Amino acid sequence: MRPRAAMHPYLMVAPTVLVLALFFVYPLFAAAYESVHAWDLLTPRRYVGLENYRELSQSGALWGAFSRTLGFGAVVVVFSVGLGLLLAISLNRPGRLYELLRGAIFSAYVVSWVAVALLWMWILDADAGLLTRSLRGLALPTTSWLGNPDAALWSIAGVTVWKITGYAMVVFLAGLQSIPRSLHEAAALDGAGPLARFRYVTWPALRPTTAFVATTSLIMSFQAFDVIRVMTQGGPVRSTTLFVYAIYEEVFMNLRVGRASALVVVFFGVLVVLTLLNLWALGVSQARRARA
Amino acid sequence: MKRRALLAAGAAGLLGCAGGDGGVPLWFSYGGKNREALLALVAAFNAEFPAHRLSPVYQGDYFELLAKLRTSLHAGRAPAVTHVIAEVMPYLVSADVLEPLDGLPGLGGDLGFVEPLAQAGAFTNGAPDRLYGVPFNRSTPIAYYNGDVLREIGREPAATWDDLVSFAAAAQKGDEASRRWGFSVPVDWWFWVAMLGQAGGSLVDASGAFTLGGDAGVRALAFLQELVYERRLMRPPPGRDYNAWQVQNAEFLAGRVATIWTSTAFVRYLEDNAKFPVVCAPLPRLERAAVPTGGTMFVVPKGGPPAWHEAAGHFLAFMSRPDRSNEFATKTGYIPVTRAGITLLEQAGYYEKKPNDRVAVDQLANVMPWPWHRELFRVQREVVQARLESAVLERRDAREILDAARAAIERAR
Repeated sequence: MRPRAAMHPYLMVAPTVLVLALFFVYPLFAAAYESVHAWDLLTPRRYVGLENYRELSQSGALWGAFSRTLGFGAVVVVFSVGLGLLLAISLNRPGRLYELLRGAIFSAYVVSWVAVALLWMWILDADAGLLTRSLRGLALPTTSWLGNPDAALWSIAGVTVWKITGYAMVVFLAGLQSIPRSLHEAAALDGAGPLARFRYVTWPALRPTTAFVATTSLIMSFQAFDVIRVMTQGGPVRSTTLFVYAIYEEVFMNLRVGRASALVVVFFGVLVVLTLLNLWALGVSQARRARA
Repeated sequence: MKRRALLAAGAAGLLGCAGGDGGVPLWFSYGGKNREALLALVAAFNAEFPAHRLSPVYQGDYFELLAKLRTSLHAGRAPAVTHVIAEVMPYLVSADVLEPLDGLPGLGGDLGFVEPLAQAGAFTNGAPDRLYGVPFNRSTPIAYYNGDVLREIGREPAATWDDLVSFAAAAQKGDEASRRWGFSVPVDWWFWVAMLGQAGGSLVDASGAFTLGGDAGVRALAFLQELVYERRLMRPPPGRDYNAWQVQNAEFLAGRVATIWTSTAFVRYLEDNAKFPVVCAPLPRLERAAVPTGGTMFVVPKGGPPAWHEAAGHFLAFMSRPDRSNEFATKTGYIPVTRAGITLLEQAGYYEKKPNDRVAVDQLANVMPWPWHRELFRVQREVVQARLESAVLERRDAREILDAARAAIERAR
């Protein structure tokens, strides 16, 4: 299809380009500019070169936020994808009971983060929480889930997995239902058992779905803020201060726009690297499939 | 008067930050009883000064309000009047974003404030001569005891750190599943500063440099570690900032801890919600009795139209009247901010009826003023707070932690 006028394609994409430039590109350049300045919003900004990066690096704040965010993201992605897939396979059957179970599991995804956080604060209460009492009832060890620096991040990762697994399950269900039944029937006729059918039919067909679920879960884990704000406020001892929360804390609590901007720039770099890795992995996978 | 009100409304509209109903915007923190008490006072002010009608707008906790205030100052949309935590005032004054208040109507001369709670007495080391803050929501940390526990174990509130240890040991009972802890205090800068003072130290030296109490700071931190790990009489409440305080209040009310340290601001709340008698007491001493002050000061951000300043002046003068400051104090538990107000309550026999309210007033004799230091707020938030948590929750060496904090303060200079 040829445009009636040469300008038409540009006019069509102009609104999108404008929105992207205004809300994504400009703020990014603004953050890069602020990251080499010291500024508190109240007094004139002062050029400090790479001082903000040096301070964040020397204080350990940068590496801390980076490692915690990556660890948190890895746990959330692995468990939400794994559980989502398991649930999708288990519940991919007709019947009222299965419909009810699918609906119940997905419902967590549509509840607000604040409500989820409040609910889990009660469940994870170190004394009277449901989890603590259940574990004690079974004579199992327990801890202060949100007060122990070694446990808090993983407790929040667990809450995040609980909330987003329903979403992963629904996407996997869509993927499963798009696999032609004839493929499974042919494999069964060839003598493939349930495990072999999963390995050679279901899993290869679900690869694009898995990549999509993993990517969106990673994005959700990197955006974690509300749940941390409500449940731990980044503590104890900064053990739940992920990148986004660290940025918030620097700019709004510590009055340091420059350091927050330096974190933004580094976070952007991390996301770019992860995106490139993702594209590379996708390219390798497609090349393999093309060779096969 | 009508013309002035119209001008004020017009200016507010032009600035685009009038309150939701077009009045002069007043930002405030905190909900519950404090909010009810403040809104009642604002309603009384609006009835008395209809030409300066205020629109109160809730802005979250102290830190959330401060974040919003800074962005609004940057955007030129600051409210006419707000309150900020006292420790941040040196920073805001040095940034030249606050209006001096002594030129506003009704705020010149001696306002009769209780000295340790007012700007002049709450700060030392170079506080300015001009008035920038009117005390509001002012408090000290105090100890709260479960009265039933006191009776059950036949003890009086602790007067010294040693007493506190023996009280907590006697009060603690139950196994892991149903434990009543002996003692709880948030791992928070405010309480650590109190303990540092009790151990005989001060935050800064005579030159104004941050020493963080030297050996006294270490003793304070080591005492918290001892209570948690060696004596196992305290479990630090989860969460940071005011969330930890709320969790601790809930545990106290549920009978899961025998005594807590928290702000006098919760006197009324805890008394009203406890199923047991609440007994307040001064914090125990080590080398001496000492407490910091807490809470906020009303301030007037720069940049508002003259009509807003006039309204702010009238409002702050109104809030500084003994009857009005007493109304807020008696409804909440905060300390009355005027000398005349305290005298009025004494004459009316209020403290005989409400002895818990008297504790914080008596503790004013032991107040340690804050250093008037631009970086005070950052030293608290950025340098010390996380390190205190690290020392207590991760059991790190108290001296090393405070040495690292002093080094970080030095680096940031």
